[in-house]
Amino acid sequence: MSLPPPATIEVHNLGKVFQAPGTLRDMMRGRLFAKPVEALAEVSFNVRPGEIACVMGPNGAGKSTLIRILGGLLLPSAGRALVAGLDAGAGTAEFRRRVAFVVGDERSFHFQVSGRGNLHYFAALHGQAPAVARHRAGELLERVGLAGAADRRYREYSRGMRQRLAIARGLLGDPRVLLLDEPTLGLDPKGARDLRLFLRDEVIRGGGRTAIVCSNDPTEVRAMADRVLFLTGGRLSGEAPPDRIEAELGL
Amino acid sequence: MSAAVASPLWFGRVLLAFVRRELAAVGGYRTAFVIRLLGFGLAVGSLLFLSRFIGAVVNPHLAAFGGNYLGFVVIGILGTEFQQVGVSVLAQRIRLAQVMGTLEAEIATPAPPWMVLGAPPVYEVVISALRSSGYLLGAKLLLGLDLSRINWASLGLAVPLIIAAFAGLGLLAAGTTMLVRRLNPVAMVIGSLSFFVSGVMYPVTVLPGWLRAVGALLPLTHALAALRGALLIGASPGQIQGSLLALLIFAGVLAPLGVAMFGFALRRARIDGSLSHY
Repeated sequence: MSLPPPATIEVHNLGKVFQAPGTLRDMMRGRLFAKPVEALAEVSFNVRPGEIACVMGPNGAGKSTLIRILGGLLLPSAGRALVAGLDAGAGTAEFRRRVAFVVGDERSFHFQVSGRGNLHYFAALHGQAPAVARHRAGELLERVGLAGAADRRYREYSRGMRQRLAIARGLLGDPRVLLLDEPTLGLDPKGARDLRLFLRDEVIRGGGRTAIVCSNDPTEVRAMADRVLFLTGGRLSGEAPPDRIEAELGL
Repeated sequence: MSAAVASPLWFGRVLLAFVRRELAAVGGYRTAFVIRLLGFGLAVGSLLFLSRFIGAVVNPHLAAFGGNYLGFVVIGILGTEFQQVGVSVLAQRIRLAQVMGTLEAEIATPAPPWMVLGAPPVYEVVISALRSSGYLLGAKLLLGLDLSRINWASLGLAVPLIIAAFAGLGLLAAGTTMLVRRLNPVAMVIGSLSFFVSGVMYPVTVLPGWLRAVGALLPLTHALAALRGALLIGASPGQIQGSLLALLIFAGVLAPLGVAMFGFALRRARIDGSLSHY
């Protein structure tokens, strides 16, 4: 009997406690910090190579915290996460080459610059030479369906176009693992469906990648996930195949 | 081809891409660009009338600067601007990137943080140097500023030390801004205090002794003394060695302190998740 392939993402007892600086009231009570908030506790799971794992949970369940720790943008208070074979906490350049955090946050691009110009800038941050960056940006803009709008300023882009540009940016370095935070949030139903199919079939499966998708949308999760993890109050409360999510969520 | 390790070549690519992006964005901020140009013209014009007004008076405090108030004040303003750029630009850049939301996306790339955040200060220092040259040229051509006695050796020694000292202050300010997530408190304090006691508009010799002592603790005081010596009276490195030594000490203390502070602030941001907070 052959052994299963090694997990691309291994999460062991991950915990995160936020401790914000105290307010004036806290300080008057002799406390320098506000009351600690436990965002994640004892979270452990694995994601196999090529798998798409979706993380669901109510607002404040810890999804964004989890994905930021896996992306190396946030340090855990406890536990450890290995993504693509590297410690997420170390946050090395090699880690950031292998793992792309695709944030759909509209504010993460420069509004006065074109989609192409934005990609050129981020390609430089990946260390790509100008000629390589131009080629790679053109190729990705074509792939995400933005070739015709590549030279329009980002501020003129629709929400769907902005999401597509964020995906193109995530693919600049040809990562092995994609971390997607609500990739179709705010899109119209058709735009959301098209983007999900593109992500699942072309970007993740077509590219032989592994992905974690945080989402609260059952339609999205059913369309994309191989497996669903449920977070409640910062703890992993269950796991199910995508056709069982209504039962798990009690819908 | 991608650069595998953080190298000057990689930084050069980031810098080039940053400059291109800035130039592309200028078209979107035409009004701000025109206002900035207008401000430059008004500043040069105001110097004309200030020098006519004050330059006519024989002032013993200006004797050490060849009695040249125009040169004195032009260099005071240039030095202040350099300090402003050094102390503020990195903090402003971080604050803006936090507010815009670009910082997290940039930090998520393979480029090390110093590279992500280093391009804007380098660009701004170059722009500031060009603007300063414009001021000096404008003052020479329009106002008759005498720059015939420049000591290039002194200038060549002073400028890198000034940049290093101001960069150290800038890193301290940027770290503080990341920690407090407010506008730059270090720049505000240093800027106001320096303008008052570093001899920007008037020689420090007019200040009482205790204020002069406060001024000696600020790098701008020594930067202005070195620049005025090199540019106005052709002072040799030996003649301005006190100022150069003070700048060397500031650079030696502030630069490593700034790097440590900034590293600490960046780590704090990864602990409290404030890379995209505003």
